[in-house]
Amino acid sequence: MDFDLADFALNYAMKLGAKYADVRLETTKTNEFILKNGVPQMAGFDRVQGLGIRFNSGGCFGFASINILEKEKIKRMIEKAVKVTSKASKIADSTEMSAEKAHEADYGVKQKISLENLSPGDKLNILFEIEKAIAATKVDVPGRFFSMADFYTEKYFVSSEGAKIVSRIPRVDLWHFITINNNGKTAQRYWQYGDAGGFEKIVDKNFPELLKKEVLTTDKMLRKGVKPPKDKIDIVVGPQVTGIMVHESVGHPYEADRVLGREAAQAGETFIAQDMLNTRIGSNAVNIFDDPTLEESFGYYLYDDDGVKARPRHLIKNGIINEFLHNRSTAAAMKTKSNGASRATAFDREAIVRMANTYVQPGEQTQEELIEGVRYGIFMNNFMEWNIDDKRLNAKYTGAEAYIIQNGQIMEPVFAPVIEISTPALWSAVDAVANNMEYHSGTCGKAEPMQAIPVWFGGPSMRIRNIKLGNKT
Amino acid sequence: MEKATIAKSLLDKFVKAGAGDVIISMVSEDASQIKFANSKIATTQSWAAEKAEVFVEVKKRLVSTTIRDLSEKAVYDAIQRIMKFANASTPNEDYRGIADGPFKYKEIPETYDSKIVQLADRSVDMTEEAINAAAENGAARAAGVLESSVSSRYILTTNNAEAEDKATRAYFSIRAFADKNASGHKVCNSRILSKFKPAEAAESAAETAKLAANPANGAEGKYDVLFEPLPFSNLLQQLGEAASIFNVESHLSCLAGKLGKRVAAESVTVSDNGTLANGFNSTKFDAEGVPTQKNTLIQDGVLKTYLHNTSTARKHNTKTTANAGLVSPAAFNIVLDKGKLNKEEIISNMKKGLIVTNVWYTRFQNYDTGDFSTIPRDGMFYVENGKIAGAVKELRISDNLLGIMRNVAAIGSEQEHVFGWEVELPVITPPVLVKDVHLTKSVA
Repeated sequence: MDFDLADFALNYAMKLGAKYADVRLETTKTNEFILKNGVPQMAGFDRVQGLGIRFNSGGCFGFASINILEKEKIKRMIEKAVKVTSKASKIADSTEMSAEKAHEADYGVKQKISLENLSPGDKLNILFEIEKAIAATKVDVPGRFFSMADFYTEKYFVSSEGAKIVSRIPRVDLWHFITINNNGKTAQRYWQYGDAGGFEKIVDKNFPELLKKEVLTTDKMLRKGVKPPKDKIDIVVGPQVTGIMVHESVGHPYEADRVLGREAAQAGETFIAQDMLNTRIGSNAVNIFDDPTLEESFGYYLYDDDGVKARPRHLIKNGIINEFLHNRSTAAAMKTKSNGASRATAFDREAIVRMANTYVQPGEQTQEELIEGVRYGIFMNNFMEWNIDDKRLNAKYTGAEAYIIQNGQIMEPVFAPVIEISTPALWSAVDAVANNMEYHSGTCGKAEPMQAIPVWFGGPSMRIRNIKLGNKT
Repeated sequence: MEKATIAKSLLDKFVKAGAGDVIISMVSEDASQIKFANSKIATTQSWAAEKAEVFVEVKKRLVSTTIRDLSEKAVYDAIQRIMKFANASTPNEDYRGIADGPFKYKEIPETYDSKIVQLADRSVDMTEEAINAAAENGAARAAGVLESSVSSRYILTTNNAEAEDKATRAYFSIRAFADKNASGHKVCNSRILSKFKPAEAAESAAETAKLAANPANGAEGKYDVLFEPLPFSNLLQQLGEAASIFNVESHLSCLAGKLGKRVAAESVTVSDNGTLANGFNSTKFDAEGVPTQKNTLIQDGVLKTYLHNTSTARKHNTKTTANAGLVSPAAFNIVLDKGKLNKEEIISNMKKGLIVTNVWYTRFQNYDTGDFSTIPRDGMFYVENGKIAGAVKELRISDNLLGIMRNVAAIGSEQEHVFGWEVELPVITPPVLVKDVHLTKSVA
């Protein structure tokens, strides 16, 4: 990358009168593969480069991006953007940024098996191995859809305050979607796996074995699943369910830009208000973090897209709302400091407040001990359908793999139990968290144009006491 | 260099390097956005992008890529890399080729307007006017975006398709709040400036917000639901995606195995129309260069066709519907034919029911069966004896997509063009009344 172009763009914006500017110059190499019902689809092979510049002109923030890296075109693009932004300042939110240290840094993630050194055939072979493993189960799986992608992003961030940060982050991602058939009745299951690192992250997971288990389990649920109980029961949820719950009902509502209404027309707002900081939202057992610095995580970074040094954020501390996710703008609006949650998916998207890796802190007990403490209930290990309202107050999670618990023992499968619950009720009803920590990956959507960003979400199994299941349809 | 010259040069170089079918699309786009929240402008955004999108087939090995640096050395390097990548890939035995041209193309009315090209900072004034219109109609605050873009696409294929299209688009989305729990959302979009009415959308969103004040908690149960165009577009989008043969084959569709069968009420006729005047996604040609057309997907409630490109059509012994997508055929503009009653007449005929003005977060438990849920957002109103009796909140639609389409009881007489954050596939639909929709709520 020609770092001088980023410096050039920055200097030109300042020359035009910006009181602040930053530039992200970025190159991303992507390889994508799809195997659908045993047939490889078109492979994607992309090399994307461009720069995005953010500036404050007349009290209003503007953002502009270009993929034609020629100085004259960059100048014209900045001139046009500054003109519109200066005019917009007449009705603009008089945005400020929190004062933060300007860092210089150069960091990256190492690959044990380099993405560059493998041929497309080598990569696609993993998906063919999954096909073979599924065929060996003898289960009728008419729908088998697998996609795998690897990305390598090199980014240079430079700001008018003196920040200069270079990062090099490889990521891999594998997504599966299977349909099981039993006499014309079907069940479906999908999941995504993503990490920062090289191809070892794909190899180490042993996807053929993992998908074999998914097929056998989904088939069992379809053939043997009984109807869910209707009375109030206790529920133990597995790490995947804990993960989606923490992402949807804690991570999102604690994004400070939602609290301030900036995403109201898109991803929505939140039932959380600024004055709810330091108030109780859950039981003492609940401790929730969001941590971008987890090594080799899907949401990994050490400096955010405002140039702020990342750190773990303790969102809920012993059931008390402890902090929100901030970028420099929301931090200034709430008269606090940024905690490094500013992210953009690519050079051509504005940086906004995002999660990184959100999780429930594990406890001391085993999952088995949590289950032993249930007289009658269900164990929901994972899920298929889910959603939550745009205030993040009412959520639904429909189980995929689930079982009846009776007298502390796992019993027969239960088909598609529904948890339909409000956020405060959920976190107040958690009485114990286990020690079986797992991180799972997702691609989180927010902003307009949409920014689908890699994150982890996770935690251990959790026990939720005295809950009535929802009705399916 | 002219884009036709660049495309021809790229095409020839790929063929010389051993490629079979090649499609080059030279694409450029300039776009800008004003984003506002709390009735103030939060940021402006602008984008400039030029690229060559490339599809290459080498002995049934298929690769898509994008080339952005068009200098001679960069192009040479890119071709070497792409051909190496293609040769090391695995063949797709389902592949049956691309369309044979040349083709004749028709101009589509109202798809390009120089007034949108010249909009520039006038977009700030339009945003301000819309914010003011919302305030004058009862909104305490409003959030949204105003976007405009100008783009062009030139396509050249090894099978003699060659065409060029240019497009302008304007899009406005506003969510008005009367208070924290009372909101209304409206979008408007147009390819020409004279039909782009942000202030009218703002007024409408504010009216809904005002009406939505003091919502009561809704009760679980089955309701007759009048879906306004915005939420019904969300469902029709799912149906449009389900019509793609790629999704049918992938078990991502509730329309699999239903060709020639009833999938909706008799009053329902749905088409996909890539040639629609002022259609937000209207375009002269698909990703293979085939001239777009109108395809009736559901005629009087019966499924008539899936959406195909040339390769999938040959595999299934049919003709392309001109909906390439080279990986997955895709709809352009989904259109639900209008009915006879206006919205007020439909409401006046409702004994007990709900009006839903927006939904979000539609997710499926099973794409094969169509079991899904989606969450009403913004104003939701309880109707009793033909009149709005009050606002309600915190309900979820938990039902089945085909069940909803089969239970359509009335279709309004006035269509709206919908495109937005939740509806990325443009949909043209009137309001629609559906019988016996199951609504659920949090039980704790």
